[in-house]
Parts: sequence; structure tokens; C-alpha cells
Amino acid sequence: MSEFTIERVKTGIPGLDELIEGGFPKGDTILVAGKAGTGKSILATQFLYNGAVTYDEAGVLVTLEEAPKMIRRNMLRFGMDLKKLEEEGKLAVVDLSPSKEATPVTIGEYPSFDLSGLEAIIMNHVKKLGAKRIVLDTLSIMAYKFKSRDILREEFFKLAAHLTDEGRTLVLTSEIPEQHDGLGVFDIEAFLASGVIVLYNEKISETSRSRSIEVLKLRGSQHSSRIHSMRITEDGIRVFPGEIGSG
Amino acid sequence: MAEKAESDEAPEDGVEDSDTMEIVLFKSDTCAFCPRAEEVVRETIETFEPGTFKLRVINVSETPEAAEEYGVFALPTVMIGNLSITGIPEPEMLMKMILGVRVTTNEV
Ligand SMILES: Nc1ncnc2c1ncn2[C@@H]1O[C@H](COP(=O)(O)OP(=O)(O)OP(=O)(O)O)[C@@H](O)[C@H]1O
Ligand SMILES: [Mg+2]
Repeated sequence: MSEFTIERVKTGIPGLDELIEGGFPKGDTILVAGKAGTGKSILATQFLYNGAVTYDEAGVLVTLEEAPKMIRRNMLRFGMDLKKLEEEGKLAVVDLSPSKEATPVTIGEYPSFDLSGLEAIIMNHVKKLGAKRIVLDTLSIMAYKFKSRDILREEFFKLAAHLTDEGRTLVLTSEIPEQHDGLGVFDIEAFLASGVIVLYNEKISETSRSRSIEVLKLRGSQHSSRIHSMRITEDGIRVFPGEIGSG
Repeated sequence: MAEKAESDEAPEDGVEDSDTMEIVLFKSDTCAFCPRAEEVVRETIETFEPGTFKLRVINVSETPEAAEEYGVFALPTVMIGNLSITGIPEPEMLMKMILGVRVTTNEV
């Protein structure tokens, strides 16, 4: 391998790797953005599942939104048995969802904090499993949890840098609000990530919608600049590199 | 929230007294604002009669499980009952929180 070759982390998602020169650049932060229901969580989970099952890379799924119970149940429908991977020590589902009862109610926030708590929580699991893949679903929740945007931005850069240390690849999901043009609620999403993938589920007629996927940017990659068709099948997300979709 | 917050990590010993209110401070080895937060909490506690509060300091660098259990991302975080403050708290805010918890506890 020449020194200019970027090592790739295969997603194992049918059709996706060939759009991105074989996979995500190893050690990068990848943003998966899209409106509600576009398939962000499924894609991110497939990345971890395939890593654990096919590529012998353990993963950590940090859920800030959905309760683990729901995730395990939903993903089982796509043939992904997360529980089994957890028992085998190939996956950790870290529950930081609002459904946790012990979480205190924040009644005040002063602009003098860092995110070293979140980092310690995630790194604890990463170290235990020797994880190479990390998913944080979803970044958008952070914007609702904290008011101090400047600190959040700075702290998230630090967090992403630490998590991707030692060649770990980080996938962040970001929900694009309806009637919104950017990539998420922070307006820093694009800077935070060296790779950006956008998922769409656009109305194509009164009665139907069409799913598609776009690789907006990816470090050192001659990625496709088109919007490609995508489907959510009983095996999860499938991308059709030959089919041009409507974004 | 009279929930038993007591667990394995570094309790400041002593018997559980129903009149004693527990204040939990989450900190880490790398957190730059945490030492000041701890000072503020200790100073506030000192304005009360001894035995009114029990301070439990949780270093999440040592026990990340505790931060996970309570879903504490940001440090410093001060937690009393089921209420919390993020960042270095102002003493007035701490007092408000203490009184707030008292009120809700008495109602139950
Ligand atoms: N068995 C299935 N077959 C086909 N499509 C499905 C199936 N189960 C769920 N879906 C589709 O998957 C979508 C949800 O995917 P996912 O949860 O990954 O979206 P998301 O982008 O994470 O959404 P949110 O922003 O709400 O978190 C839904 O729109 C639903 O239509
Ligand atoms: Mg989702």
C-alpha cells in the first residue's frame, strides 16, 4: 500500500462501498444526515453490525434518542441480532436515551463545562471491547440538551478527535429538520465531519416517495457525485449505484 | 427522589440519615472547571449546620459507569435529588436547587 493510499473501513452495506472507493476512510468522522425516517439509524447500525459480523471489528452504539430495547427490536426486523453481538462482546449499546429514569432534570446551565463525562462513558466501552467503530445516534439531541452552542461546538470537535484516535471510525447521525436547508441543527455538522452522507425520502408524486443517498464529501476519495437510489429492504439498506435517484 | 443513589463508588461514609441531603458532584481528571465547582459547593454547604448535607464526589475518569447511570455528559455537574446544574454553579442557584428539592421531598 502506498503512503498515499487511505485505508478503508468497509460498511458492508450493499452498493454503498463502491460509491466511496471501498469504504469510509479509517479514523475519520462521518456524518449521516437526513430528515426524519430517512434511514440514518438503520445505516449506522448496519455499519456496526457488518463490522462485528463480517470484518471482525467490534463496535459501540451510543444512543441518545431511542431506547436500546426499541433499537434491538427494530433492527431484528432487518435480520440484525444486536443482543447476540452484545453477548459475544462484539457490540455495546450505550443507553444515553431520555428514557433512563435516573437521569436528573437539568435546571441550570453555566457556560463553564466540558463533555469529558460523555467521553469517559463512551471510551469505557470502547476500551472494554477494543472497538474500532463508533456510532453516535443522534448528534442533534445535543443541541436540545445544551444551550451553550459555542462550548458544544468546541467540545464536540475535541470529542470526535479523541474518539477517532487509534484508527477508530466514528459515524454521527444528524436529523435535518423539515423545511431546513443545512445538515442539521448545529450548523457545524459539515465542519465536524470529514465525510458527509445525506439520505433522502422525497415525494415523487401524490402517492409515492423515493429514497436516495448522496455522498456530499469524503476525504481523499473520488466518490460518486450523483444521487443514487436506495431502498430499505428486509435486509436493511441497499444502495443501487447504477440507478440515479432524485434528491 | 429518595432513590438509593448509593453504590460502590467512593461514598463519603456515614450512616444514611433522612434529614441529610446528598449532594453529588460529578468531575473528571481532565475537567478544567471542576475544581472551582467543588469549591463553590463546599462553601455553600458550610453556610449550613454540619450534618445537613453529605457531599459525594464522583470522578468519572475512575467510575465512568456512574456518569452513564445518570446520563451525565457535561462536567462539572451538581446533582441533588433528581435535579442537576451543569457548569460552575452560582451559590444562589445551588440554594434554589436545595430548597426546590426540600419542597418536593416534603410533599411526597
Ligand atoms: N421492515 C421495513 N421495511 C422497509 N422499510 C422499513 C422497515 N422498517 C422500517 N422501515 C423504514 O425505515 C425508516 C426508519 O429508518 P430509521 O429509523 O433508520 O430512520 P431515521 O433517519 O433514523 O429516523 P429518525 O430521524 O426518526 O431517527 C422508516 O421511514 C420506515 O419507513
Ligand atoms: Mg434514527
